[in-house]
Amino acid sequence: MGWRIGVDIGGTFTDVALVDEEGGEIRIAKVATTPEDFGRGVIEALGTALDENGVRADEVSLLAHATTIVTNALLEERGARTALVTTRGFRDVLELRRSARADLYDLFQDAPSVLVPRHARLEITERVDAQGEVVMPLAENEIDDIVAFVREHRIQAVAVALLFSFLNDSHERIVGQRLRAALPDVQVFLSSEILPEIREFERTSTTAVCAYVGPILASYLGRLQTAVEGMKLPRLHVMGSSGGIFDVAEALRMPAAAVESGPAAGVVAATLVARQLHRPDLISFDMGGTTAKASLVAGGEVTTTPEYEVGGDGNASRWLHGTGHPIRVPVIDLAEVSAGGGSIAWVDPGGALRVGPRSAGAVPGPVCYGRGGEQPTVTDANVVLGYLDRASLLGGALPIDAAAAEAAIERHVAAPLGLGIAEAAAGIVAVVENSMAAALRIVSVERGHDPREFALVAFGGAGPLHAARLAEELEIPEVIVPPASGAFSALGLVTSDIRRDWVKTLYLPLAEAAPERLAEIYGELEDAGRRMLAEAGVPEDRRVLQRAADLRYARQAYELTVPVETGTIGERALQAMADAFHEKHRTTYGHESRTEPVHLVNVRLGAIGRLTPLRIRQPGAEQGRAKRERTVTFRETGAVACPVFWRGALAGGQRVEGPAILEALDSTTVVPPGWVAETDADGFVAMRRSNRA
Amino acid sequence: MPDAPRPVLSTDPATFEVVKNALLSAAEEMKIVLAKTAYSPLLKVAGDYSCGIFDDRGQMVAQGPDLPIHLGSMPDAVKAVIAAHTRFQPGDVFIHNDPYFGGSHLPDINVIAPAFHERTLLGFTCVRAHWPDVGSATPGSYGAVTEIYGEGLRLPPVRLCTDGEMNPDVEAIIFANVRTPDERRGDLRAQIAANRRAEQRLQALARKYGAEALLAIMQEVLDYSETMMRKALAALPDGESSFEDFCDGDGVVEAGDTEDRPFTIRMRVDKKGDTLKVDFTGTDPQVPGPMNAPLSVSKSGVLCAVKMIADPHSLIPPNSGCWRAIEVTAPEGSVVNATLPSPVVYANHEMSHRTAEMVFGAMASFAPDNVMACSQGTSAVLTLGGVDYRTGERYVSYETIKGGFGARPNKDGINCVASTISNTMNTPIEVLEMSFPVRVERYEVLPDSGGAGRFRGGCGSRRVWRVLGNETRAAVCCERTKSPPFGVLGGKAGAPARISLVDPDGRETVLNSKGGFTAGPGSLIVFDVPGSGGYGPPSERDRKAIEADLRDGYVTPEAARRDYGL
Repeated sequence: MGWRIGVDIGGTFTDVALVDEEGGEIRIAKVATTPEDFGRGVIEALGTALDENGVRADEVSLLAHATTIVTNALLEERGARTALVTTRGFRDVLELRRSARADLYDLFQDAPSVLVPRHARLEITERVDAQGEVVMPLAENEIDDIVAFVREHRIQAVAVALLFSFLNDSHERIVGQRLRAALPDVQVFLSSEILPEIREFERTSTTAVCAYVGPILASYLGRLQTAVEGMKLPRLHVMGSSGGIFDVAEALRMPAAAVESGPAAGVVAATLVARQLHRPDLISFDMGGTTAKASLVAGGEVTTTPEYEVGGDGNASRWLHGTGHPIRVPVIDLAEVSAGGGSIAWVDPGGALRVGPRSAGAVPGPVCYGRGGEQPTVTDANVVLGYLDRASLLGGALPIDAAAAEAAIERHVAAPLGLGIAEAAAGIVAVVENSMAAALRIVSVERGHDPREFALVAFGGAGPLHAARLAEELEIPEVIVPPASGAFSALGLVTSDIRRDWVKTLYLPLAEAAPERLAEIYGELEDAGRRMLAEAGVPEDRRVLQRAADLRYARQAYELTVPVETGTIGERALQAMADAFHEKHRTTYGHESRTEPVHLVNVRLGAIGRLTPLRIRQPGAEQGRAKRERTVTFRETGAVACPVFWRGALAGGQRVEGPAILEALDSTTVVPPGWVAETDADGFVAMRRSNRA
Repeated sequence: MPDAPRPVLSTDPATFEVVKNALLSAAEEMKIVLAKTAYSPLLKVAGDYSCGIFDDRGQMVAQGPDLPIHLGSMPDAVKAVIAAHTRFQPGDVFIHNDPYFGGSHLPDINVIAPAFHERTLLGFTCVRAHWPDVGSATPGSYGAVTEIYGEGLRLPPVRLCTDGEMNPDVEAIIFANVRTPDERRGDLRAQIAANRRAEQRLQALARKYGAEALLAIMQEVLDYSETMMRKALAALPDGESSFEDFCDGDGVVEAGDTEDRPFTIRMRVDKKGDTLKVDFTGTDPQVPGPMNAPLSVSKSGVLCAVKMIADPHSLIPPNSGCWRAIEVTAPEGSVVNATLPSPVVYANHEMSHRTAEMVFGAMASFAPDNVMACSQGTSAVLTLGGVDYRTGERYVSYETIKGGFGARPNKDGINCVASTISNTMNTPIEVLEMSFPVRVERYEVLPDSGGAGRFRGGCGSRRVWRVLGNETRAAVCCERTKSPPFGVLGGKAGAPARISLVDPDGRETVLNSKGGFTAGPGSLIVFDVPGSGGYGPPSERDRKAIEADLRDGYVTPEAARRDYGL
């Protein structure tokens, strides 16, 4: 028993959350993100967090980290110099994709980007056929040419994806061995190791993504792990795209699974709200300095997609399928827009007020931070309107220069548009809220979910500032602001299970599967799972091994996953798998055909280390009164004197009528006119429209 | 982003938005059910189908993100069922594929079901799916025949299910007439399941908002698209223009001819205010081979192009309301408005590609900032059929290969991607070879196939198959072997299509653009799919762009010298 620590890097701040496993008490530390070397900020933040809270390294039971490095490298196209090796005749597989375009009618859509330029797409003579037989032996002498190319072009990573390697990986293994031996400083990823699955484009794309980000991730996590060991902290874990955590070795084996690590942490944190407040249906809204993300929690569970595209493009502020790089790993389903506190407001040549996509980021940051920022941002507008304190933020640690914010808005927005300063600031906020509402719509309305049936969980440094207005826009009846809302994503890191999944592709008729062979395969996977959980220090009673199998009717292209019972595998177990498949097919698609042959495509094993569930709290100290007042501008009232409460001083059950401002160390909650906020004993704030309350 | 213009709604805007999107996601869900349960690669991995939700009069209210080719003609297919049957019961399912009853071509099988909430008819759901075979003399049903009676099984709108149970008599007729009935049975079950899913979604909406409100919103969705489309058209420059283009042939070489005879399409576009008229007067009469299009097919191509021109950022939901402002007319008995018993199978995609491209060509003269050069302009179909040496079972394979997407006013075209009316996917090589006795030996970008211009056309592609084990009865259907994809405003044409058969000892025969042939074991079929046209004069191309193309081999040094003087 001890403290769990989560470290989350945002565009502006690096947050550390410490949670006492026993009592669920939360402590938070926040330092500026260090974009030139993210790891330095992490180490500083950890040091600060331990010092400030008097926690010793040996009292830490779990350390988990969300990294933006993979997603950023793909979005900004700043990955490693990557080469691709394919079967001769197929070098263009990444460019040919699946040949459908992203948007049916968009005349001006861009060609999707390709991670490997055409001159670095290399071919090798070889061929394995659809039965897994070698029909053209591997021309091993051509490997020398590949080695020479890699050296000459200073390639940092090579993806190898040969046809039918999921059936017969012998050629890929030889190419891999030879390249690894000849090029010890180059990372080599084999498609048969990354994703032994049919469909060459998706398999190649997943492998290429791993190669493109692998070197960057390795150097980052390597340095971080060393530093963490130096602090005598436990082994570092990384949040994966699907909402489970794994160790550094696993992250480096499969870099694509660290995509959207940070956003996943936020959504996992939202499930904590679902559990603790018994609100199973939530829309999570996470707004930081550079982006805003929305995701749906239905029935208390995160929603994931089995295939995801990373680094894609958008149209009318939404991401479009078919523009990014597909990866076949489960990823939490979320919508992201470039709208954060640091988003820069500007007037375009047509005289329209625009916000983003450029962001002032952590450096120089908003004008009001006084760190050299000159372009007005959303945060500056919030200061001008009085939503944020005009003197200081972060409990006094961050002085605010309100006059500079006003001057910047005057100069860059109000004057060119012929508006007053307050009017211009209100315009900036309205524009950014419009684009954030689009993200909320994508995960709810556009998928046919009625937002009126959900509660909005708002977090991130800027989420609670805008949440009530967004709820009005989407007619969401309730907003929940969790404790430690400014660093809430970091809490998701310490509440998710340790998880790793293994897949073994078989491709055979279920009727021909030998039970002994299946038992043997599950046995091997389970041994690997037990080893992983033991190494992670998960106690026996918290280890779970889940067997599953992917089945389909012989002529179908997509499988359904069914659970497989534990214990010995005999004919009865095979029959139970078939029955479970027919049943699932009927419930999923409305029909089944018991006479059709069933194919066993993959066997799966999930090894899970269950963490003890947390009940978090950051309770108020005493019945609070209005700490003070300041002038705040609302569209309903204009500028009014508005009470400002210190959130930590509000008692459980206390009601605050809007307009009001609730301040905390790491975030500010705006309660607009017509809303009422109520706190509970654990430090959650719930806001509802007062006419409905 | 400016706010979308809104018609006056009787429903509150939030409910309207939610229901509008719920209808779209119901159509999207149909698509998922179909892909995940269908048996033929053409459906399960290549996506050759469309799903739609229709009101009680057959107007399309929502289409999934499917194929624009079906935009104009799916409503006619649903209307044909309504006209033929008039009374509907829960559990009814109808089937038909008749191009002369609102179908497109015989392989496109429409499965249509009414959706009820209690006793109220909410509307219809339709899944149009391309079956890889629907009978006829040629596996794949892509032979160059001269009457529709030779094109395969023709089903007028008939009742397939009553009370949710398939009528065994109809079922028996269907499966006696197709080559691979087991596979088709799986596809048909998938189509029925997709319809059922949409009905469940409609019922859920009716329960939540009331059937009456749902029906009202469906009408408002149509009106909303109409309003949006009229505003978009009004924002375009007015103008009138004519355009002429020729097709390679119909696949039937006439007595006395040595090669397939080209024929001409003529189009006049008249854009004025918030309306647009397209007229095909002067187009050649229908031809003996299957290059004749029912008017609804020709119209689909026009509607697709107009949508891209007027709504280039894709803000208007595509549905029947969109098309109220657009009028398409054509002389009866011409290749773009065929009459019974003309064969039609090729025209479905080849003529709708053609009419779409011609709208861009015509409007280039008065709306140059909203058009692109001609794209690949063909669906480039290859069908294969025979007996799989590995299993002794019959097989039929159907693939379409993609070429260049046209160059635009401000950027290059796109290499090897579906354009205009098409958006089917390629069949992954690994799925293809596991399913059929072929080995793909090349699939690659074709250098120098994008038309030169200030902005270069997208490159086409080359795909090469080796036939394994037994001989295969093959057919191709392609356009633009003689009429290369045109450039606009000074841009050059893209490379034309080329199809050849190489026998095992290396002798190559160039094949006609359409029609059947036999390929022996060990022979190669080589398909070069066209690139697209360029936009603007090549002399204005940025030198850095030419150098980048040279480095990556999209353009060869010889072509750079020829086209750009470099």
